[in-house]
Amino acid sequence: MIGFLAKRLATIPLVVLGVVTILFIIFKSVPGDEAAFVAGATATQAEIEAVRVQLGLDRPLIEQYVQHVSGLIVGDFGYSTTFRGNPLSHIVNRLPATLALAAAAIGLTILVGIPAGVVAATWRNRMPDYLISLTVVGLLAIPNFWLGMLLIAWLSVDLGLLPSFGASGPASLVIPTLALAARLIALVARMTRGVVIEELRKDYVRTARAKGLSKELVIRRHVLRNVMIPTITVIGLQAGYLLGGSVVIERLCAWPGIGDLLLTAVSVRDYTLVQAIVLIFVVSFLIINIAVEVIYRFINPRLRYA
Amino acid sequence: MKRREFLVSAAGAALLSTVPVGAIRAFAQSAAGVITFGQSTAVLTLDPAHGAFTGYPGGYEAALLLFDRLLDFDGDMKIVPQLAQSFAMSEDLKSCELKVRAGVTFHDGTPCDAAAIKFNIERMMNKEINTTNRPLWDPIAGADIVDETTLVIRALAPFAQLPNTLAHGSGAIVSPAAIEKSGEDGFAQNPVGAGPYMVEAFNAGQELTLKTYDGYWGEKPGAAGVVFRFIAEPATRINALTTGAVDVIDSVPVQLVGQLASNADVEVLRKPGLRPIGLAINLTRPALADVKVRKAFNLAVPVATIAEKVFFGYAKAPDSPLAFDAIGHKTVGESVFDQEQAKALLAEAGYTAGSDGLLEKDGAKLTISLYTPEGLFPGDVAVTEIVAASLKQVGVDAQITKIEKGAYWDHLRQDKANLAWDLAMFGFNPSNASGTYHLASLFKSNAADSTKPDVWNIGRYRNAEVDELLKSADSAPAEADRLEALGKAQELVWADAPYLWLQINENVSAVRKPVSGVSLMPIVFTNLRAATKA
Repeated sequence: MIGFLAKRLATIPLVVLGVVTILFIIFKSVPGDEAAFVAGATATQAEIEAVRVQLGLDRPLIEQYVQHVSGLIVGDFGYSTTFRGNPLSHIVNRLPATLALAAAAIGLTILVGIPAGVVAATWRNRMPDYLISLTVVGLLAIPNFWLGMLLIAWLSVDLGLLPSFGASGPASLVIPTLALAARLIALVARMTRGVVIEELRKDYVRTARAKGLSKELVIRRHVLRNVMIPTITVIGLQAGYLLGGSVVIERLCAWPGIGDLLLTAVSVRDYTLVQAIVLIFVVSFLIINIAVEVIYRFINPRLRYA
Repeated sequence: MKRREFLVSAAGAALLSTVPVGAIRAFAQSAAGVITFGQSTAVLTLDPAHGAFTGYPGGYEAALLLFDRLLDFDGDMKIVPQLAQSFAMSEDLKSCELKVRAGVTFHDGTPCDAAAIKFNIERMMNKEINTTNRPLWDPIAGADIVDETTLVIRALAPFAQLPNTLAHGSGAIVSPAAIEKSGEDGFAQNPVGAGPYMVEAFNAGQELTLKTYDGYWGEKPGAAGVVFRFIAEPATRINALTTGAVDVIDSVPVQLVGQLASNADVEVLRKPGLRPIGLAINLTRPALADVKVRKAFNLAVPVATIAEKVFFGYAKAPDSPLAFDAIGHKTVGESVFDQEQAKALLAEAGYTAGSDGLLEKDGAKLTISLYTPEGLFPGDVAVTEIVAASLKQVGVDAQITKIEKGAYWDHLRQDKANLAWDLAMFGFNPSNASGTYHLASLFKSNAADSTKPDVWNIGRYRNAEVDELLKSADSAPAEADRLEALGKAQELVWADAPYLWLQINENVSAVRKPVSGVSLMPIVFTNLRAATKA
């Protein structure tokens, strides 16, 4: 396991360097003059040139690239015009909010999605199954920002139960979590239902039932363990969705995470900040992928020797 | 504990933690006496130099409370004293003598005296430190301390707008001791001014919390504090106001105003802005160099209908190249919609309808390339589509090109050879409210028309008489003469029609009881300086 982990972690710097390079190329080739944007709409041409020199944008690209990469190695993300310096501390400051939201969404998904799938499979083609399957289709079809708006209108504006925006306590987490998790819950429930139905047909289930175990016990003890593997796969694959979705939901709910910061950075054309946040997103994605593989190996011993 | 029991109880605990214990509406409400302002733009930096207050206008709105300036604008954009008790421009308009209030201190306790003000003026003059708002500060030559409370600010040449510069947001007076302490780069996150409110907590991009400054020289503010909270999404801002979680919101989309208008607790504020939107006309194109064609374009577009239908009445048709509240604005014309007259003018200019109904002259079609950004100006794409359809009705073939908003300025400010557009949407917001500054930025002849425009004369308008009038509007000794010159310049520009003038949008903010005293300045700012919360 340790050898595996070491090998995996060793690939990170290489992948990150690749990502940094690609990001650098993308950001240097996007349309729009960064200096002109920073200088503002009323700036004269002379002002724009002054800003260009100040930001180092007049230097050769290769020089900018080398400076960029060597800066990153020591944790210097460059000069963010938004924060007048290295934006790292501001990003780190925002990270917990995003992680809390993602963790809450994953937690809710596991707590609701898996039981819902099991219930639907157990009462297959009967009322509970129909209700759950219908809800699943509905949740998959609803865009998360719209669901978020509905939840705010209902839970916050009409009923006055929850704050309509911001992060002013645990209650603030409810609406963004529901909006973000809805799609994941639906995916996991649908998949769990399918896997459970499939598993229930298998020999080991028949054997267990034959030796007198109740259906409930068989599902809980034997079937669920086999359901976990595809479930973790799905959640791992959806980590990208969680990060991307958090951008939209964070903005909608004024949730102070890095997704919200990303949109702010885009709106003020702070390329350094956008680049830094995208890099953090990419690295998070890499780490989640490795974590998923590690969890796999815990759950499925067969993989450990593969 | 068995694994199952553990899992079940963990699940239960997790569920419980999401239940809002005693979460009633009251908990979402802001504290008594503290006004919460849900802003559409984040407060990111609070330094008049180094790119000025960002984001725009959020940073400037916070700066209005945090900093005092020598002079201020009142609700009608008239210049009134603030840190200066009085001011007088010299006869030659090359200097301004100011009497500074005695005994004023910054939030850090250091004195805000003539020396501190001199430091500020020189800091803003420094191009290395202050990269933005240069047209406001470049004409200034220096500041001299006469005595402890008297200061003379000198200009390089006659500069009638010197008071406007001092009253502009970038004229915010900062504490020299705080600059010394935080450094030039650190001040923007640790601002210290001499305004009625001081910083309690600043989380850039999220929330700025201000509290009253007990040592303020003037009247005590009407609230214990003001929280600037960034809420980007308009629907979320409106919900927050409806639930009472915030007291003030800005930038209410005109299509959503209806939701608030029926709420008895909410007052909707509206004010026409200083930014007239129009389509700049590329005068380097031979077809468009003909004033008849440009006038015909203006006649062909139903601007009043656009204001009514696209902006739900929260916009007006212009009556001058300047917005209604710009200093020196004069009514010089009116927006007329008359497509028959437009067709007649085009015929006079030598255009006849071809077999497809589109106009042509000497075998060449009158084809217009219409540039619009997406989401940079209010309803930009919708308005451009109406313009294109209207032009087609009079036989002009107008093709729309939509440009991503980040890249839009590049397309506008091009050297002559690379100007791809014939008509391009543009609106200029004169941040110091000066009509002279506005007109000069847009219509003063460029030094050379082949290179990039000096400021924003992107269509290469060139009228020596206008240049002359703008000069006297800036430097004539008597104010009446300056205003007359500016009025005449507006007449000439309007008659030359270097723009297809479109609408002037209104800014809409909303305030919830019991907060009062919030004002909406013509220059987008929602001003909470005089706001009170009982």
